[in-house]
Amino acid sequence: MPEVAAPDRKVQFREKVMWTAITLFIFLVCSQIPLFGIMSSESSDPMYWMRVIMASNRGTLMEMGITPIVTSGMIMQLLAGANIIEVDYSLKEDRALFSGAQKLFAMVIAIGQATVSVWSGVYGDPKDIGPGISLLLILQLCIAALITMLLDELLQKGYGLGSGISLFIATNICETIVWKAFSPTTYNTGRGTEFEGAIVAFFHLLFTRSNKFLALKEAMYRSNLPNLSNLIATILVFAVVIYLQGFRVEIPVKSNRYRGQQGNYPVKLFYTSNMPIMLQSALVSNVFFISQLLYKRWPENLLVQLLGVWKSPEGIPQEYAASGLAYYISPPHSLSKALVDPIHFVIYVTFMLTACALFSKTWIEVSGSSPRDVARQLKEQQLVMRGHREGSMYKELKRIIPTAAAFGGLCIGALSVSADLLGAIGSGTGILLAVTIIYQYFEIFLKEQHEEGQAMF
Amino acid sequence: MSDTASPSVPPRTAAGLRRRQTGTTARSSTGSRPAQTPGGMMRIYTDDSPGIKVDPVVVLVASLTFIASVFILHIVGKYTR
Repeated sequence: MPEVAAPDRKVQFREKVMWTAITLFIFLVCSQIPLFGIMSSESSDPMYWMRVIMASNRGTLMEMGITPIVTSGMIMQLLAGANIIEVDYSLKEDRALFSGAQKLFAMVIAIGQATVSVWSGVYGDPKDIGPGISLLLILQLCIAALITMLLDELLQKGYGLGSGISLFIATNICETIVWKAFSPTTYNTGRGTEFEGAIVAFFHLLFTRSNKFLALKEAMYRSNLPNLSNLIATILVFAVVIYLQGFRVEIPVKSNRYRGQQGNYPVKLFYTSNMPIMLQSALVSNVFFISQLLYKRWPENLLVQLLGVWKSPEGIPQEYAASGLAYYISPPHSLSKALVDPIHFVIYVTFMLTACALFSKTWIEVSGSSPRDVARQLKEQQLVMRGHREGSMYKELKRIIPTAAAFGGLCIGALSVSADLLGAIGSGTGILLAVTIIYQYFEIFLKEQHEEGQAMF
Repeated sequence: MSDTASPSVPPRTAAGLRRRQTGTTARSSTGSRPAQTPGGMMRIYTDDSPGIKVDPVVVLVASLTFIASVFILHIVGKYTR
């Protein structure tokens, strides 16, 4: 496997920004260029639900986005967390082997997924496409996956800021939001041409319609295309999440090594950040994917129907769950739909909140930020909690951290649900991911700049 | 950043808190799991793994070449069809 060499010197902040920008540019170009050799992409998209968290764009070089990396990473980490694969993280060879295996696994997934999607006729019947072009399609997808992997590694190895995965997801969602707000594409509806972008449409309607009040109402609440209220909801969710990011419990600590040194160890409300929502949507989109495939193959089977019945609303090729399990775990399309079917709404909210809280609690164990790990870290730095003995520190952390994680997960879930209900652009999950990632980047920026400042003195 | 705890008066500003937080997490990450990061970001490759070492410039050139070749394929495809 090719891999990016670690930088042998300290990379300057300016250089890091440059590399991040270049990576972003390549990603954006790749998510615009259509794959060569596609016959059709008009049919319903079974991967629709995954696109948000996987930063992929249909029919482009970024068809798979970061799916291979994330899938392999999650599977390997879960296996390691469950001690099925034994990895000793203190050994350098073990860690190297582990990340090497992850990459190899990611490539295997990429090749497998590319072959399956070409062969199953996602881009048109393989017989029509021909063997040569089919091979080219697979090759394009695989190389794109490899490049995404390398770009991600490039950022993580310290040439750039943050991680490629997060960067790509955030970019993809922000792109959607900006596009929905300013898109100049016009649609010919029954009442004359309308612009797709909410803000563009607002001004267009205000200037062309004679009744200004009706025009305003139309711009605010039109249902077929993104409207101003959606945009306002999006901004609102952004603001709320950033406000909540500041919530934290501060554990007062003091140093044993230096007398009189004390400070706080912050435990944030969003202790696990966006991980619960990411895991939750990964789970849900996989359920949807499997359910759709099964329904396509055996629409009559009772078990399959219990899992989910898929129908497309008039005029849109995209299919939505109409009944079965998949329906109850998919968000209602709007507030009015939620009122029409309150059982669906209640089940959906319950499922969402429980899943987020549980995933959040599990994630702290898997990712090594559990109370035990934190206690060990503090001990390594010879920090103790004020008013506690060393032994009782773990107990205290155990009281605070899982609660914070579970409650944080709950909040994230609730925010996502409300964002969906308000009709925020780019789905609740998407916005939450975008905001939390942008906030993380903001933190990284501050940290980098601080270090830069320190290095100067 | 030799001491992780701040001087006796705990700073009230957000920057002060963050500084301490980054200090505590950055120094202790040596022996722990790879998934752990300050921002809670998902990280997958943190260590050198066996494989061919490539310079980032090579990655850049390779991806640009790939994009260019797909472009050429599109153009060639348009003319031959």
